[in-house]
Amino acid sequence: MNAPVSSDLAELSMTEAADAFAAGDIKAEAMVRACLARIDAHDAKVNSVIRLDREAALAAAAAQDKARAGGTALGPLAGAPMMHKDMYYRAGKVSTCGSRIRKDFVPQVTATVLERLDAAGAIDMGTLNMAEFAQNPTGHNAHFGHCHNPWDLAYCTGGSSSGSGAGVAARFFTAALGSDTGGSIRLPATICGVTGLKATQTRVSRHGVMPLSFSCDNVGPLVRTARDAARFLKVTAGQDPKDPTSAPEDVPDYEAALTGDIKGLRIAVCESYFFDGADAPVVAAFEDALKVLADRGASITRVKAPSMQAVAAYVSLVSRTESPAIHANWMREYPGDYAIHLSSRIYGGFAIPGHLYIEALSRRGPLLKQFVAEALTGFDIVATPTLRTRVPTLAETDIDADPANWSRFMAVSANTRPFNYLGLPTLSVPCGFDDRGLPVGLQLAARPFAEATVLRAGDAFQRVTDWHRKSPVL
Amino acid sequence: MPVEPEFVVPMMEAIRRWSGVSVPNAAARHGLADFAGLMEELAALRGTMVFEDEPSSFEAALRECREPGQ
Repeated sequence: MNAPVSSDLAELSMTEAADAFAAGDIKAEAMVRACLARIDAHDAKVNSVIRLDREAALAAAAAQDKARAGGTALGPLAGAPMMHKDMYYRAGKVSTCGSRIRKDFVPQVTATVLERLDAAGAIDMGTLNMAEFAQNPTGHNAHFGHCHNPWDLAYCTGGSSSGSGAGVAARFFTAALGSDTGGSIRLPATICGVTGLKATQTRVSRHGVMPLSFSCDNVGPLVRTARDAARFLKVTAGQDPKDPTSAPEDVPDYEAALTGDIKGLRIAVCESYFFDGADAPVVAAFEDALKVLADRGASITRVKAPSMQAVAAYVSLVSRTESPAIHANWMREYPGDYAIHLSSRIYGGFAIPGHLYIEALSRRGPLLKQFVAEALTGFDIVATPTLRTRVPTLAETDIDADPANWSRFMAVSANTRPFNYLGLPTLSVPCGFDDRGLPVGLQLAARPFAEATVLRAGDAFQRVTDWHRKSPVL
Repeated sequence: MPVEPEFVVPMMEAIRRWSGVSVPNAAARHGLADFAGLMEELAALRGTMVFEDEPSSFEAALRECREPGQ
């Protein structure tokens, strides 16, 4: 696949930039300078960046240009500038986790996923704004300032990987790590109009990554295209001796699965739960996306969603019980250092009885098997809107200003968090805009370790649509 | 202003005694009150857990539920 010629290098996707660099069509330093120019021009409005390692990124890019000119083989991500959510530890560098409490925290280890990206040639330009300790679905941050949606600055970015979604959408970098415990990759992806992948639980190492809920935390990318996500996952997935929970399954060549052919792909649409209270413009964009997939040869079947109430209840229990265990000391010693919405959320978790937490974990396997039996037997993919409502404004979801916004705030992740409990691989791709001009996302979930299936469907969709090519005017 | 459920104050006292954490703000109290809905959802699930269910069944289910031939 040849990279398109672009007058603005920052418009190149991650794979386009890496492939153009490998072919000698662009210089890595020019690519980094194009991204830095975008950040310099627009991030004062978007507020996606926490730390910009400008000189280090330029030096790394210059070194890659020199190496390539000398005939040295470089990795599959060489030439692609990235920034990452500020919770991926790099030894000796501050990792704030979006918090006041860790504003000066310097880790002693480097996250395995960063080491793998480094080895693949990714150019790390710094760290990104995020929800404090990755614990809100909207992107509010009381300490570093709220991140703003590049499509309309009054609207939320989605969270918790707010800077990752906003920055990829704004063409500040080609890719960013996010993390996803209840939708924190897929929500900013859908709300900012980019592509996000949450892989199967255990697929990607979490060593050196700030924990939120060790049962449901996932590491993954926010990028422009399904092809970007495929290459990113190939580089980052796989067993890691430093993370005993990481899966030993082989890592396939996900890009090889992107054939564009989805003839015979069987897609189930669960009619209940995922559409409860859905807004009409979101449903309209979702239905249009289904027609595109059907036109390419996929079959679309409406089915009744199984057991979602149990899944939705239990996923709330798991993350809300594990987080207080991690934060208990700080909640005793520095409760005022948390934002109101976060300390209030963590606080509630202390009230949840232990036996219910164990019940939630114990029912996870049986409910996964039940979901697969009822929604994925005879089907390859379950499709839903990623966010079932219109994108809310920052004001509408600001609990710090008004606790009455609590229910609207919690409703944002209703369609994403079930897949964290079930552990299933789930991709979000842009599929249109609502009546207020904010992006809408299509969520595709498949069986465990079937990332190639959702990536193939997402790529086939993006071959004939241009939602992922649209960029906000800043 | 909705009436605060009667379980909120004893719940706050239980958190203080068990965990040494005091209620940090009004929103936290609101969050506890919001548990009423979750309690109802969990009550509806009583009896579904089987005696032999346990957490490690999840990793086994992930492998068991892979695509055929994978």
